[in-house]
Amino acid sequence: MQPQVNLLFSNTETIPGMTITQSMGVVSGSTVRAKNVFKDIGAGLKNMVGGELKAYTQLLQESRNEALYRMLVDAQSRGANAVVNVRFATSSVSGGAAELLAYGTAVTVQ
Amino acid sequence: MELGTAIVILFYIIIPFTPWILSLVGTLLYQPAQKNTLLEREKASAKSGDSLSTLSQPFAGKEVREFELVMSSVVMGPSWIQIAIGGILSLFGGEITTFTKVVDWARREAKQRLREQVASKGFDDVINMRIETTVMSKTKGSKDKTTGVEILVYGTAIKY
Repeated sequence: MQPQVNLLFSNTETIPGMTITQSMGVVSGSTVRAKNVFKDIGAGLKNMVGGELKAYTQLLQESRNEALYRMLVDAQSRGANAVVNVRFATSSVSGGAAELLAYGTAVTVQ
Repeated sequence: MELGTAIVILFYIIIPFTPWILSLVGTLLYQPAQKNTLLEREKASAKSGDSLSTLSQPFAGKEVREFELVMSSVVMGPSWIQIAIGGILSLFGGEITTFTKVVDWARREAKQRLREQVASKGFDDVINMRIETTVMSKTKGSKDKTTGVEILVYGTAIKY
């Protein structure tokens, strides 16, 4: 069971309507995911026609949420209550597997 | 027609070329249809002005009541025909129009999804929007030919 995280996060430089009192440094979370072989075949067939590869879209969406979650857990363990300037980066590690990275600055806001 | 000729046609022409025929149909019929739908969706949400902006602050210093990090992503791949044409075009250099079209389509689709997502959650605008592109290429020596480009659009949705 995943512990609940209750942090504010935004990709703007400040949390709207609040002031940053302390910076806790850069936090990040990442995950490498591959989808299952059967969906890969489906994507390969869809690739013939062109257009959206739904299996990949879904895979990346799920794993990005996971990366974001890990980043928030990291921030919480440092005693921060918000993460500002969140950025995403993606790279494909090998065929069908992708690394998703989320990073930002952990801060305390009031 | 003799049975022998029919078998030759079936095994040497129809079966080997089926993927290419499908690819051609997809490029000429399926893709334009999808793009038309997208255009209509874009028109529908453009009525109230574009909600996306790359500014880091809301317009005119309006006060923000609520905010949320929103993102949408889409993976699109060119069809086999488009890859083949792209391969030929890249010999001559210049613009590879078939790839331009696919990447542009993917980016528009991702932005449109973000607009719809934001509207359905009841937010007014998106500030600090960023676009991220990743190429999902095939690996060397692998039989998996799947290629695609992933577009991620994210930003901070705000409510005034």
